[in-house]
Amino acid sequence: MNKMDEDFLKRIRETFRIEAEEHLRILSAGLTELEKKPPEKRAAELIENMYREVHSLKGAARSVDQKEIESVCHPFESLFAALKRKDIVLSPRLFDILLKAIDILTRLLSTDGIVKTPAERQIHKDIINQLKKAAEESPSDTHGKEYPDFSGEPQTEEKVIVSETEKNKVSGVAESYEPAMAKVVRIPVSRLDPLLLQSEELLQTKISFDQRLNELKDVNVRVTGFKAQLSKYSIDVPETAKMIHDEYHEFAGNCLSEMENRLNELQHSIEKDQYTFNRLTNDHLGEVKQILMLPVSSLVESFPSMVRDISHEHNKEVKFNITGMELEVDKRILEDLKDPLLHLIRNSLDHGIGKPHERTEQNKPPSGTINLEFKARGSDMIEIVLSDDGKGIDTENVLKAAVRSGVISAEAAENLNRDEIISLIFKSGVSTSSVITDISGRGLGLSIVSEKVEKLNGKVSVRTEKSKGTSFHILLPVTLATFRGILVKTGEYMFILPSVNVVRVLRTESGEIKTVENHDTISFDKKVIPMADLGNVLGLQEPGNKTTELSSKSSDQICIVVLTSGDDVVAFRVDDVLDERQVLVKNLGKLLTRVKNISGATVLGSGNVVPVLYVPDLIKSSISAQEKVSRPVAAGITPEKSAKILVAEDSVTARALLKNILETAGYQVSTAIDGTDAFTKARMEGFDLIVSDVDMPRMNGFELTAKIRNDRKLSEIPVVLVTALESREDRELGIEVGADAYIVKRSFDQTNLLEIIRRLI
Amino acid sequence: MKKEIIAVLKNRAREMAREPEEQTSSATGDFLIFALAGEIYGIDVAFIREVYPLRDFTQLPGVPSFILGIINVRGQILPVVDLKKFFNLPEKGLGELNKVIILHNPAMEFGILADNITGMQPVPFDAIRTSPVSVTGIGSDYLKGIAPGNVIILDGEKILNDKKIIIHEEVT
Repeated sequence: MNKMDEDFLKRIRETFRIEAEEHLRILSAGLTELEKKPPEKRAAELIENMYREVHSLKGAARSVDQKEIESVCHPFESLFAALKRKDIVLSPRLFDILLKAIDILTRLLSTDGIVKTPAERQIHKDIINQLKKAAEESPSDTHGKEYPDFSGEPQTEEKVIVSETEKNKVSGVAESYEPAMAKVVRIPVSRLDPLLLQSEELLQTKISFDQRLNELKDVNVRVTGFKAQLSKYSIDVPETAKMIHDEYHEFAGNCLSEMENRLNELQHSIEKDQYTFNRLTNDHLGEVKQILMLPVSSLVESFPSMVRDISHEHNKEVKFNITGMELEVDKRILEDLKDPLLHLIRNSLDHGIGKPHERTEQNKPPSGTINLEFKARGSDMIEIVLSDDGKGIDTENVLKAAVRSGVISAEAAENLNRDEIISLIFKSGVSTSSVITDISGRGLGLSIVSEKVEKLNGKVSVRTEKSKGTSFHILLPVTLATFRGILVKTGEYMFILPSVNVVRVLRTESGEIKTVENHDTISFDKKVIPMADLGNVLGLQEPGNKTTELSSKSSDQICIVVLTSGDDVVAFRVDDVLDERQVLVKNLGKLLTRVKNISGATVLGSGNVVPVLYVPDLIKSSISAQEKVSRPVAAGITPEKSAKILVAEDSVTARALLKNILETAGYQVSTAIDGTDAFTKARMEGFDLIVSDVDMPRMNGFELTAKIRNDRKLSEIPVVLVTALESREDRELGIEVGADAYIVKRSFDQTNLLEIIRRLI
Repeated sequence: MKKEIIAVLKNRAREMAREPEEQTSSATGDFLIFALAGEIYGIDVAFIREVYPLRDFTQLPGVPSFILGIINVRGQILPVVDLKKFFNLPEKGLGELNKVIILHNPAMEFGILADNITGMQPVPFDAIRTSPVSVTGIGSDYLKGIAPGNVIILDGEKILNDKKIIIHEEVT
């Protein structure tokens, strides 16, 4: 096959994929609705609809030669034909088969219709047979109770096959839809993204246009000022020179007047241009944003089947209702909402809804209910409510866990009211497990939810009542808007701080900084608040160098930005506050999914890219930066002496990466290529900690750990196992052989690793 | 002088008129050839979205050193990865010829820094030898092999799909 054909086939397959995804979405949505036993008329309508969908999917699959997909669609279609004729009726078993079939089709679609293993092939065969069998079943075999008015017509074999006339009927129905469809163009969303980016660039241009105009106005004001000064200006000149002087004076005055006029004209016409440009840009951006608004249904359509799967797995019965799916929200917001919502739903399923027998004991219906509601709040906000009728949140447990993890002190805990206690669940770091793993015991889940929502300029709150249920309320804007931010400078770097987090910008004498217990503080609003240097917190300068810099600058005034997040208020010292301006935050790309202290970046009118800081992180970082500075002083250890770490890893890349990360964090790093090598090196040199991969040739991480624990000289060295293995058995094995921590390297989460190392050394 | 030019042109015409050599190899890919720390690298154009001149970039605090920074490509913010840092190659400093090769697949997108782009070159896939990569001292994970002319062929697929270089850091 030549390249052009290949390209064409690729494109056409892509088109097919988009189309097929849509068919499958409608199919699974239809099934979900059918499962709730709608009135008979609606049920018939849904079946008709789904029959058409699966028929089109089959046709499309055939046209791009996707035989596997076609082969599953075929009995699927026959089954629906039988349903339509009421030869068979819907039963729970049938739903299971149908959902499974949709699952398989979805998977096939993602692998381009390629079946990799014989096991998969067998699954396909099974589902095809099940579909076929189900279509042939007579109503008396199935649970026909749902449709008691069903007339028990005798079965014939031919009904399973879709007859020619049936097909014609289908295409006839489809045609009646055509006139409406002709006005709709199908464009992949990926083609729309550049359009949005362009209009956002326009917005940047608009912002810099505004700035230029202001500069021009400034020049104009100055020229007027010169003119006024000149008219007042007079010097004593000898009579002989007076004529020349007057002439010159007049000439200068005329020049300035002309310049003033020209500037006025220029300013006037630019103002007109700016007005037009602003209007066009705003309209354009508005239109583009409108295009990118997608209905909520595109986000939640996969949720019901997920809820179904999880509740089956946990032997729970759950009714899951979604309302308000037709509301439209910016695609990017929807994308960012997916994880938080999934997390909240999983939480509800996991901790909220109890098992049927537990529920019955509490006089509740055995099956729990989870409601997901989307409601419009005004024209530009949306409220999302996820509620369940489960156990509710046990405030006492939350409080205990929070005190244990050090989020709050035991004394402070006593003074909290109920709402304050509940809001603690959004704070990170509640750990119940004695061994650190990245799956359990870190208590990060809900803090991530609130963080994501905050980044979208939204708010999340929770209401709960013990044994009655829990509801999470998320309030969000429906579009991504620009916000105001303050441009600050520290060293060579520029950053944007969102104005919502800025309490005040102030200049003060450096003498105002007071040191309390080794921490810098400053009084603000009659309160003493901690102060940190922005550059230090971001790790731009070594804390050590700063002291000399401080003293050299001590006579100067210093610039301080007081920032807030939640209840925390921290003052940050910056080199300069340049400007407050409108900014549009963009994400940092797929490689940088989460960078500490930074929520995104914005492009200045000049084209410079400036990072936008994430204040909740900054405040947390400022606290740990303070501790880092003060701890070595308290312990009387020189900060230069860094810990020595041995990295055992067989993959060259992973080894280089680990080395890089650890060295960046200030450790001395040696490497070993496998367990045997690591053990030898560990015995030769003294190390403070060993980081080891699990899966290595010659001696794996478990064996290495066991060997270290049994060695008299080495038994005390902390061992961190880093692994791709994720099973519980492996984790337990890791603990059994004596590892101090066990981290699964799903993505390379460095903070996780560094934090654990810090705790262990 | 003129004669020389004519001779050159004639030569060129002959070269171009020559029948293309018998394609014994199964398939040939187009590779973008670029220089990095004095070595010649190639990467399959199938993974390349575009090549962008590196005019300006913004460093990010608190990221590993293999992330050079972020750039603005027509309104889109993209991270730039410095393979030199990643492979511990010597630093040459950013010159005027620095280019960013934007790698792309449906799930990932970022730029890699190149010292200089030499051009495009067809390379038959079976001419890529998968052997002595250790000679260059580079992480063999990202390398496909060496093509004729000592061109080190990078494995675009592996680089793009490496979950380990995704930065996802929480502050705790």
